[in-house]
Amino acid sequence: MTDNFAVELDNVGKRFMRHADRRNTLKERIVRGRSRSTQDFWAVRNVDVQIPKGSVYGLIGHNGSGKSTLLKLITGIYRPTEGTITTDGRVAALIELGAGFHPDMTGRENIKLNGSILGLSKSEIDNAMETIIDFSGLREFIDDPVKHYSSGMYVRLGFSVAVHMKPDVLLVDEVLAVGDEEFQRKCFDHLYTLRREGRTIVVVSHGLGQLEGLCDEVAWLDHGTVQEIGPATEVIGSYLQRVNAEEAKANAGIAATRDDTTMRAGSGVIRSTSAKLIDYQGDSINHAETGTTFGIEVNLHCYEQVLGPNVRIAFQHETGPLVTMMSNHRIQHDFGYVEGDKTISAFLTDNPLLPGRYRVHIDVFDHTGSVLIDNWDDALEFTVRSPRGEIGQGFIELPYTYDIR
Amino acid sequence: MIGELYRQRALIWAFANRDFATRYRSSILGWAWSLLQPLATLLVYAAVFSLVFRIQAPPLGSDPDRTSFAAFLFTGMVTFNLFSGLLMLSMTQLKSNGELLRKVHFPAWTPILGASVVQLVQVALELIVLIAMFLWLGNIGISWLLAIPILIGTAMFGQGIGLMLSVVNARYGDVQYIVQVILQALYFLTPILYPLSLVEGTADWLAAIVKANPLTWFVEAMHQVMYSLTTPEWWVIPGLLVFGFAVFWAGFTIFNRSSEDIGELL
Repeated sequence: MTDNFAVELDNVGKRFMRHADRRNTLKERIVRGRSRSTQDFWAVRNVDVQIPKGSVYGLIGHNGSGKSTLLKLITGIYRPTEGTITTDGRVAALIELGAGFHPDMTGRENIKLNGSILGLSKSEIDNAMETIIDFSGLREFIDDPVKHYSSGMYVRLGFSVAVHMKPDVLLVDEVLAVGDEEFQRKCFDHLYTLRREGRTIVVVSHGLGQLEGLCDEVAWLDHGTVQEIGPATEVIGSYLQRVNAEEAKANAGIAATRDDTTMRAGSGVIRSTSAKLIDYQGDSINHAETGTTFGIEVNLHCYEQVLGPNVRIAFQHETGPLVTMMSNHRIQHDFGYVEGDKTISAFLTDNPLLPGRYRVHIDVFDHTGSVLIDNWDDALEFTVRSPRGEIGQGFIELPYTYDIR
Repeated sequence: MIGELYRQRALIWAFANRDFATRYRSSILGWAWSLLQPLATLLVYAAVFSLVFRIQAPPLGSDPDRTSFAAFLFTGMVTFNLFSGLLMLSMTQLKSNGELLRKVHFPAWTPILGASVVQLVQVALELIVLIAMFLWLGNIGISWLLAIPILIGTAMFGQGIGLMLSVVNARYGDVQYIVQVILQALYFLTPILYPLSLVEGTADWLAAIVKANPLTWFVEAMHQVMYSLTTPEWWVIPGLLVFGFAVFWAGFTIFNRSSEDIGELL
């Protein structure tokens, strides 16, 4: 093992026995003997992954693709059936926060116990105690039994303990989706701090936007094997392509109504036929950056001559909210009479969208802006990244100034 | 093994603290309750066996003209409880810590030994009562000191078996009920409620079983040093210690070997 890797997986495989009917009691075992109908099931196989020290590494894949199994293998809860796993330094897992909490013990007692289980010495725990309490924001309740805590408080305490273990390798499994907005942000900030300190972080998440902002490298797992390893954007991009393709296949009917122009709502005298993301020069791009002008190019086909249509391009954040909408009517841009095939480019100057994933909906209305001609939901989906790497709060950055007197 | 135990002392202690803090937290009398059960048993057994069945305890070491069935009985009970308490508690620990073992990687025997530490406190309380009984009877002797190695041997014996059975019990949940029944039978096949001499007058096979029962060796040794105030043959106590240690070592080794995939098993 070279010194550059915090975790090295060499041809790792994990096989589970799937007992069709497991012998759970002695009687069954004695009377019916060993269960015969065992089936091998490889949760992960032939996995070669090297995680560089100080990097943030993401694992993506559909449910049951083996991501969590891989994390459990790295922590040592599971032993690999084949291959070897080498880890360098202390590994701490945020697999299930607060797993070791005892409901009858106070928050403070639980911090001590959890710390010991995670491998800290008594003095290390004592040193970290105040920081942990402050970080959790639960000082008021720290001497109450944790059975009186809300589930959110429970998780906050668990997270606080785990991240203050000063692990060399921190494994994070889908836990960032818990806690309120403020605490989530705190967790993210803390992960960035850990990263700056040169600690290695392995994240499993379905929040692809989050991962893209956080990770250096991503491995995409599919049915237990590695599909692709590489820079976060690329791998997430190809993963999404696959997911979209499969979704389209699975929801053939629904997709047809969405993309098949004949099935769309509206009078249909104009149909949007395609849309893509472009940079300020009109060249195709695959993601946008905060602060840099980019555009959406829409191809329209007009079946009749139409006067002054209103083309609206709306951006919806991955979490749901409609962030903003561009409309040529709103900026008094009249297209006049349009007919045949037209290409419309709308540019978002100095892109104020903060990092995340956005979906684009394109609607066409008549010159009054009230009669729907064409409605194309989910015409496009794209990622906004920040050139500085941080994740902002909210969805857009508005112009502002500061002053101090 | 010893090195491993020493390295994990902080974790064992942390689990002991947890169990200590939670065991009787919600009851007002706390530790007093833990004595109630053995004392009630003592009272009932002493009454039934000495008054109804008229079993005679051997003469006390301090005064051959006097006997005390209650003291004789309690000496055996404390020894047996040390063994069975550790065994039963250890056996259920993997299950009660299953949630944790499935999610965090740490030596699976640490919560077991942590629970045992707390169990030892309970045994210590019983011992104090036993000593108080003998002090009150005026049955005091230097041979008492020999009780320490005997009890250590008993504890290791019980702990060793407990470790072995805990993995089996994690896999087959009904093992603990079977063990409970076996322990009940063993209680009567150990000279606790009667002196060993009483069995010798009965069927040969029964006497053979009682004498082959390792618990008989420990309980008899305790009767000698605590009740009769005599010293067993020189090899008895080292023998018991070696036996206890061997069982503990075997239990620990078997446990480590079979609990490697405990995270999947639970």
